[in-house]
This record gives sequence, structure tokens and C-alpha cells, in this order.
Amino acid sequence: MTKIKIWGLALTFLWSQSLLAEVIDVTIHYVGPTEGSVWLGMQQGMSEANLQGEFLGQTYTIKPVTLDELADLDEVTALLLASDAETIVAVAETEKFNNVPVFNLMSDEDNLRAACLPNLLNISISQQMKQDALAQWLAKHPGSKAHVQSWHESFRKFAASQLNSRFTKASGIIMDDDSWAGWAAVKLISDTVARIQSDDATKMLNYLRNDIAFDGQKGAGATFRQTGQLRQLVLLIENNKIMAEAPLRGVKGGLDSLGLLSCK
Amino acid sequence: MKLKQLLLSSLVLVSASAWADPTYRLFVTNEKSNTVSVIDSRTGKIETTLEIGDRPRGIGLSPDQKILYVALSEENAIGMVDVATLEFLGKLKAGEDPETFDVHPNGNLYLSNEDDAKATVLNPATGEIITEIRVGLEPEGVAVSPKGDIALVTSESTNMVHVIDTASHKVVANILVAARPRGLAFNSDGSFAYVSSEIGNELAIIDTTTHTIIKKVVLDIPKSKPMAIKISPDDKTLYLTTGRAAKAAIINAETLELIATVDVGKRVWGAELSRDGATLYTADGVSNTVSVVDTATQKKVMTIDVGKGPWGLALDD
Repeated sequence: MTKIKIWGLALTFLWSQSLLAEVIDVTIHYVGPTEGSVWLGMQQGMSEANLQGEFLGQTYTIKPVTLDELADLDEVTALLLASDAETIVAVAETEKFNNVPVFNLMSDEDNLRAACLPNLLNISISQQMKQDALAQWLAKHPGSKAHVQSWHESFRKFAASQLNSRFTKASGIIMDDDSWAGWAAVKLISDTVARIQSDDATKMLNYLRNDIAFDGQKGAGATFRQTGQLRQLVLLIENNKIMAEAPLRGVKGGLDSLGLLSCK
Repeated sequence: MKLKQLLLSSLVLVSASAWADPTYRLFVTNEKSNTVSVIDSRTGKIETTLEIGDRPRGIGLSPDQKILYVALSEENAIGMVDVATLEFLGKLKAGEDPETFDVHPNGNLYLSNEDDAKATVLNPATGEIITEIRVGLEPEGVAVSPKGDIALVTSESTNMVHVIDTASHKVVANILVAARPRGLAFNSDGSFAYVSSEIGNELAIIDTTTHTIIKKVVLDIPKSKPMAIKISPDDKTLYLTTGRAAKAAIINAETLELIATVDVGKRVWGAELSRDGATLYTADGVSNTVSVVDTATQKKVMTIDVGKGPWGLALDD
């Protein structure tokens, strides 16, 4: 190849790269354990977010912080919390975080949904969602010993098998509710940043609450309820086997047959 | 395939012998029974069923239509069959978990490796893997432009269409589209490409010069999960399979307005259009059938029982 041709190719390549928007470096702050399921789920989400970012011009970093360190921070893009309900409410209600998306990764407390805090996004499923799903199942299968999970390692539909397999390959553990929630929260953030081309907290929160149709590898594009709960199907598990997905077929209301529907 | 393409490929494949007459065979990959059904498209009768490897999914023909290629996902291979004699010609290594592919006018296969976030370029004449190209997660749809200058690959879990320059094998643009992009198709001169998004339930038109989305619609079909796309020879009509909605959608390719829907089988995925545009075939993944649709009357005219989990279709006409 002649030098001119090489230069031509290089220029074509550089020119096409420069068409991309400026690189956005996104730092996500996190309070919670830095080992185990939820953490590994977040790491999976981050590696996927960075792969997308390679092509679209974003980088993602998760910065673990203590509550004290959080209190000293001025500007935050998004907050992930793997902590108890009281802490979550306290952080979400902190004035300087009022416009920041705050993700609840692990708590199933119904109060967190009933509080209807405008910036709180619940990725984990609530107690009431579990109860409603179980009631739908028991109506058809009285006496069943099934319980409800958000995710299961043998879930295959909706490309869940691909997510299960790449998570286990990368982390060495099976994906469960906590790792799915950690993964989903980071992907919700990266999906938002890529689409709005901004990491402005207010714009992100607005997009997350009103516009997102997220592919959580659990079927239809996921959206948030007014209560801040992520709409999603759940799984009925018995003897570590998936017996059914709830909402069960034929139940009125679809995904909104599970859990608190709206704010008063 | 268009005339221009045929001429181009015949120039490239100078060593190939004279063109064979079409066999009118319709080949169907049956993902779950590990078979390929061979249908006489003129009668709708099953001629034979081939067993060439595990989890057959993507399917296509060489530019001279003499060789059938089948992606054997479980075997990380491409299986090859002589279209005229139905003789099995062997398998080629194709990277991890090849799902689907398109054939370049020069004969090379552009494959998506679903589990590996890669696209692989394979020369089937030599078995050589020419290159591997890093793309987003769960690459799915692949389409090579009619001129062969670019290849498009969708990455389902990172919501992108990657534009690959086939001369340098570099990704030259990435276009963010609605969630879980699946199918791709070009118009006849390659100026536009169409992409379907399963979870976003969206269909979009990409300008292949500016790499931008110039039009998109959310489909107004209950339960619809847009999958395979076919474009009529006159570029005016787009055919789209819709998964769980169990319909083939007939859409105005310029405005993206829905013209009609045709009931086909359950979980309809793959599609093929006859060269004259008169007949659309769909692979109905849960019904285990191929539906035959007359595009003029917009009616299903035949249902053909095939193996389990029919996935993709290729027609030698």
C-alpha cells in the first residue's frame, strides 16, 4: 500500500471518529459491599457499559464511598445504594441529591415504594410484588411451596440465557436477584447517558422516569412506575426450578398486577 | 439478488463455472430438531430433510447460488451443502457461537458471534478466517450492502448498528437504535438500510452515507417483536416478521406506514422473499411451520410443516 493510501485511510478513520460527540466520563457513586453478588453484578454492568461506551464515546467508573464521604460530595451523577431502607430514604431525601437518580438495589421494603420519592428508583422487587405474584400462582396451584425471585440462573427466555452465561463466565458465580439489580442499574444509567448524550443528573432522572424502555433481558422494554418501581416480570421458583413467570397468563393488568401501582 | 450484484459477483468469481438453473428449493433451518428442511417451492412439498449439524440458525447461499451455508451455532461452524445435489460438503470453523451471517458479493461470509461480541469474516473457499471485528454485546443481524462496500452488524444488548468498512474491516460508525436491534436489510442501491428493534418494537431507516436515522416508527401491532426484514425488488414495500404477534407486516418502505398484516404462524422469525417479490416465506418458530404469503393479495396461501423451531430461510430461485 502506498503512503498516500495509508494516510487516506487513517484520515478517513480519524474523521469518522471525530464525528462522535465528545467523550463523556461518567462516575457513579455507590454505597454498599464491595464484594459478593450485587457488587459483581455492578461490575458486569460496568464492563458492558464501557464496551458500549467504546463505540459511542463514554466511559463509566463506579466509585464506592461511605455515607460520610457521600455527605462531603458536591456533585453526583447517579447513586447506587445496596443498603437498608432507612439509609436509602435518608440519602434520597438529602437536599443536594434531590435531582440525582438514586437506585435502590436490594431493599424489598414496600415503604420505599409508597414514599413515592421523585428521585428514588427501585430496581429490586418489593414485598408486595412478591406477595401478589405468589397469590396469582397459589390461586391456580394451592399448596405449592414456591417462592418469588426477580431472577434465576436457569432463566433462558428473552436472552436471559446469554446474560446468565456471560455473567457467570466473568464473575464465577451464578446471577441472582442482587447481581441482576446491580447489573440492571448500571445499564439503565449507560443506556440513559448514551441516549441523551449527557450525564447531567436532572436530565438523566427525567429520562429514566419518563422515557426509558430498558432491555433488562426480561422481556418487554422496562419502565418505571410513578412509585419509582421498575416494572418487571418475576419468577415462581420451587425446588430451585422456574415454575412460572408472573404476571401469570390471563391476569388482568399485566405487569401492573404486581405491587403498588401508583402514588396517592 | 439484483442483476448488478450478479454481474459483480460473476466478475469476482471468474473461476466459477457457468450458472446453474435454479432448483427452486427453499431451505429451512430447524433450530430445535437440528435439521434443514428442503422444500420444493413450486409445490410446497418437502423434498427431503438434511442432518448437517447442531443448532442450525443462520442460512444463506453463495453468490452463484451453488452452495448453501448454514450456521451451526452449537458446533461453532458453518456447514456447506451443494444446492443442486444436496451433497454435504463439510464444515468450516466460524468462531464461537455463529448465529447469523450475510454473504458478500465476493463470496466471503460476514458472521455474528453471539456469545463473543465479535463479527467474523470467513472465506468459505479456503476456510480462512480473514479477520475478527470487535462489536457490541450479543451481535445478531448482519447485512452486507449490495455493492459490498459496507457490512452492518446489530448488537442486541448494546443497542447499536455497527457500520463496518469491508475494505479496512474497521468499524467506521456506530448508530444507537431502539432496544434489542435484530434484523437488517438494504434497499437495492444500498443508500438506505432498515433495522428492526425487538424490545423497542421499532423500525428505523438509516442513511448509509451520513450514518444517521432518517425515519423511525413504533409498530402498532399488538405483542409485536420486530425481527426479519425483506425489501421488495422495486424498493417500495418492506416485509417484517413480528415474533409473538404471529403476523407478517407489510409496510411502505418510504413512509414506514403499515399497509397490512398477514396472519402467519406463532413466533415468526426468519423470512425470505422470492426474487420476483411475489411470494414471502416465513419461519414460524413455535408453530413449526413455514407460511407462504402471496404478496399481491396479501394473503397466506399455504402452510408447510417443517422441523422443530424453524429459524431461517434461503430460496434458490
